[in-house]
Amino acid sequence: MSFKVTKPGFLTTVQDYGRLTHGAHGMGQSGVMDEQAYNWANHLLENDFNDSVLEITFGGVELLALDDVLVCVCGADLDFKVNKQSTPIWHSVQIRKGDTLSWSLPKHGIRAYLAVKGGFNTEVLFGSRSVNLRENIGKKLSELEVLNCNSSSVVLDHFVAPKYIPNYDQDIVLRLLPSYQYHEFSNSQRALFFGQHYTITNANDRTGCRLDGAPIALKKDEMISEAMSYGSVEIATDGLPIILLKDAPTIGGYPKIGTVFSLDLAKLAQKQPNTKVKFELMDIHQAQKERLKFNQFFQISPN
Amino acid sequence: MHKIILAGEGSLLIYFGDKIDASLPKNIANFANELKNQFSDLIIDLTPSYTSLLVGYDLNKTSHIKFSSQLQTALDNFEFVESHQDSELIYIPVYYGFEVGFDLERLLAEKYMTIDGFIELHSSTEYLVYAIGFSPVFAFLGQVDAKIQAPRLATPRIKIPAGSVGIADSQTAVYPTDSSGGWNIIGRTLLDLSLNNPDNLDKFKTGDRVKFYPITRDEYLKNGGQL
Repeated sequence: MSFKVTKPGFLTTVQDYGRLTHGAHGMGQSGVMDEQAYNWANHLLENDFNDSVLEITFGGVELLALDDVLVCVCGADLDFKVNKQSTPIWHSVQIRKGDTLSWSLPKHGIRAYLAVKGGFNTEVLFGSRSVNLRENIGKKLSELEVLNCNSSSVVLDHFVAPKYIPNYDQDIVLRLLPSYQYHEFSNSQRALFFGQHYTITNANDRTGCRLDGAPIALKKDEMISEAMSYGSVEIATDGLPIILLKDAPTIGGYPKIGTVFSLDLAKLAQKQPNTKVKFELMDIHQAQKERLKFNQFFQISPN
Repeated sequence: MHKIILAGEGSLLIYFGDKIDASLPKNIANFANELKNQFSDLIIDLTPSYTSLLVGYDLNKTSHIKFSSQLQTALDNFEFVESHQDSELIYIPVYYGFEVGFDLERLLAEKYMTIDGFIELHSSTEYLVYAIGFSPVFAFLGQVDAKIQAPRLATPRIKIPAGSVGIADSQTAVYPTDSSGGWNIIGRTLLDLSLNNPDNLDKFKTGDRVKFYPITRDEYLKNGGQL
């Protein structure tokens, strides 16, 4: 017994690094939306890169600690409090039995991650603890539910240096790899795509992020459904982009103009509807270099 | 025609052809198995679809340049065969009736067809699993006889009950769980394809064959079918 949920919030789910090996079964990869904040939270607790956390979207959450637990909150500033006292995020915190943890509303960013020492012990489903509501795998947090984790009381005081803490209020540029049907879009259509500021719409969730802007077109007789990688950008029939995210279906039949670099998707995960985003072309070698550095720093080994 | 293209920072997409072709799914499945054996330390995931295979690899251990050339060599050495007799055949019982096949009556009217004629056309074809997607255990089966093909609904239904059998253009499929969807619903099976039974994860593999057979309203009800 570790935490009792007194307020489940708008959308709070257990997530880990993801369900990476079931594409052939039509199962999406799931996992945390903001890999940057998630990895910091586990890293500060000296956890495994795949330990599960709570992904808290928008806040409205209150938990009662039933044990002593070492925790760390990273990601959005959702006004995190312990016993009604503002408490630092991006910093390990020792919680005592009887403490109340709360997240009220988004101040900067929208997704906060609560990591606990050793991760949450929820059921492993098809190789992962990640909840995928679209696929009916697991459930979102509910009132009075008890979340189990090992009790921990460790002398450990780790925090993220301020220069590494992202500023979620900044405009973002999404770097795009020229993948899939990129070369089939005409030069003028690509110029239109990269030249404009798109607006994030309300259709922005764990499945995908739909953007609004000036439509682009691809003349193509027939598109046969094919597997879509994380971050690939579909151009729907209306000519507008949908960025496919962690809970997206595995295959689809719209043309894709490219694939957004994963660490830029982490930034996108903190954005509210109505904010502007822009795309910029990225080279595969640069993407692999940056991701490799990230994987090495956080000791991520997905295979 | 084989082509390898970039799909993501840790993934490549292989095209095995540019048209839907009954010989492809089994070849793609076999090639995927071979890759799994040959590059077990590098490959994270393999997702086949009609004419293609998405290969997710571990960029900690290899790079885009290195791995695409290894894939190219594997492709060059792979022996593609025209036909496969040995793929698994899965039978699915279906009650074709107006109470559970929400679009059946309309389709019969549109196609000037009797219900028996329609059932005969849907259940006499041996289908091939071309892809699995949309949701887990959702198998895209082709090809539906041209006489009973129908386009997706303009407005998808909010809720389609688990087990519903649908048609969309040249494809047919069973919805494994309650979900929304725009396919024309023609009947329902009692076969549980949900992940409440974890074994269902491997129920369909691309390249498998599927055949539907009709059951009567009485058989459907006797075995727990809901109307």
